[in-house]
Amino acid sequence: MAEPLLKIEGLTRRFDVSKPWLNRVIERDEKQFLTANADVSFEIAKGETFALVGESGSGKSTIAKMVVGLLPPSAGTITFAGQKIDTGAGIPRSLRRRFQMIFQDPFASLNPRWRVGEIIAEPIRTFGLMNPTDARNEAARLLEVVGLSAGDVNKFPHEFSGGQRQRIAIARALSSKPEFIVCDEPTSALDVSVQAQILNLMRDLQDEFGLTYLLISHDLSVVRHMSTRIGVLYLGRLVEVAQGKRLFSEPQHPYTRMLLDAVPDLALSGRRRHAVEGEIPNPISPPPGCAFHPRCPLVHDRCKREVPQPRPTPIGQAACHALDRLAPAA
Amino acid sequence: MADPLLSVRDLVVEFPTRRGTLRALDRVSFDIMPGEVLGMVGESGAGKSITGAAIIGLIEPPGRIAGGEIRLKGERIDTLRPEALRRIRGKRIGMVFQDPLTSLNPLYTVAQQLIETIRTHIDCSEAEARKRAVALLDRVGIPAAARRIDDYPHHFSGGMRQRVVIALALCAEPELVIADEPTTALDVSVQSQIIEVLKDICAERGAAVMLITHDMGVIAETADRVAVLYAGRVAEIGPVREVITEALHPYTRGLMGSIPTLTQESDRLVQIPGAMPRLNAIPQGCAFNPRCDRAFAPCFTDRPELLALAGGRQVACWLHDTAKAQEVPHG
Repeated sequence: MAEPLLKIEGLTRRFDVSKPWLNRVIERDEKQFLTANADVSFEIAKGETFALVGESGSGKSTIAKMVVGLLPPSAGTITFAGQKIDTGAGIPRSLRRRFQMIFQDPFASLNPRWRVGEIIAEPIRTFGLMNPTDARNEAARLLEVVGLSAGDVNKFPHEFSGGQRQRIAIARALSSKPEFIVCDEPTSALDVSVQAQILNLMRDLQDEFGLTYLLISHDLSVVRHMSTRIGVLYLGRLVEVAQGKRLFSEPQHPYTRMLLDAVPDLALSGRRRHAVEGEIPNPISPPPGCAFHPRCPLVHDRCKREVPQPRPTPIGQAACHALDRLAPAA
Repeated sequence: MADPLLSVRDLVVEFPTRRGTLRALDRVSFDIMPGEVLGMVGESGAGKSITGAAIIGLIEPPGRIAGGEIRLKGERIDTLRPEALRRIRGKRIGMVFQDPLTSLNPLYTVAQQLIETIRTHIDCSEAEARKRAVALLDRVGIPAAARRIDDYPHHFSGGMRQRVVIALALCAEPELVIADEPTTALDVSVQSQIIEVLKDICAERGAAVMLITHDMGVIAETADRVAVLYAGRVAEIGPVREVITEALHPYTRGLMGSIPTLTQESDRLVQIPGAMPRLNAIPQGCAFNPRCDRAFAPCFTDRPELLALAGGRQVACWLHDTAKAQEVPHG
């Protein structure tokens, strides 16, 4: 594989969720930490769409925020285009221009008091890429690229529907000519018919501008439709990474299998959904060993003691002690 | 054929606003048979939740039912006085809402809420009600129900809370359960558990379900029949398999194609151009005509009525009206 565009190694993020100092002293409590991400490593090659899936609380959005520099990691490194990002000092501007983010809620991510033209041109202005007149023209051009009309630059966000706002957010993300866009649940707030429009647009733009996406979603069918590779998160750990479609035909990790079994299917294949046992545990006190072991059908003693390390599988890698026993069944 | 449990005819719900009256539901008609699961799908603003709210008489003023009728076992319930309706709500029609945290009172234990509801609707002693409540919690899959019944709602996780809400909806043995987006706030792995519980327990008790959701996957697995709403009107009703695999209405067809699935191999999703019209700008004729690729002359002038076709299917589209369809330009 060529040099990856984004490389993440051992990324860990802990949040301090302790009570205030005085309470701790009086009640003799220890400090408490919530581990949002533990030891997450993956690479994203240029031009691919890497997706992260997982249930709520699995740490998907925390990774996204760390990648774009909105949150400093507690440990681990992020390397973008061969350049290591020193997270303590913030991301250098020269690099920052090259990645952008699209957020879930287009009602919250656009400033209601700014005109659409200003919103889209803001990154251009911030990075000093063009003079103001060119920036305006560029904003108008980008609006057409995302399927709105150039005359919309003088409107305000409230004049647009949810899907149109998400197009504006995409236009803004494109304006600094980034190579890499982090999309955090880009269609979760939209209706299915609008979701289809946005997903198609994202693909067209990827082909046109050679973009690389990190797609965060809880919707497995969206992820399957969009991604070249997929990482499955469970309680902040990456349990499996695999080639897009093959993850769905040959899931390796028991959690991935369980997740796939749980998805309601439109195809009416008549397969009975297996009701999943249990729920995702509290991340403040995750189970020891493999975090999935209380829900896992293949659990054995080792899972309760040792955190499994990622191991290669036919379709990628997975972190599970039971992989050897699984192999013949697959 | 048996008599329908619930029959809705030409239901109109209006919201007077400063800029004129908005029609949230425009002559909606459908039936629910005893023991049947009817799915109700549509995009935001199509009128799914308003339909549910209208049936149980919970339309927020100034909204009001401006026409049509709703019958439960042949008896009109839309004209009942509030006290009479309150006896039906909860007793004969149970409800499950989207957010389990807002449908439970955080200041009372689960036991208090269940026992109160049971004793409101069924004549029994407190001890008897408690026994029923424990059995019900056990049935909806709450582990150690006898102990956990005295916990407060915040002690339960989201999925467990939704189970409590289902128990609450079913505790008076209703004939109909209206479930409005019961799993939308939950993760997929928990969603499948909840749908299963809801489906099994209703089947066991012979309760019909009106399942309101935007998730076609859930409908596909759960419902017997499905009604598709668009801009406050019924576009199509039919058995779930037929509607999904061979939809009659162009909107339904576009909707199904726009959903990514876990098996398809196509690279692009079907895309319906545009968006659903706002309620103050519903086009003349068929509400879908500006987005429809097969629209022809009558679509722009006359509103299509629901046509009954073979196989228990109904569709509101001029393409399926044999008299009009002859005018379709070929090619």
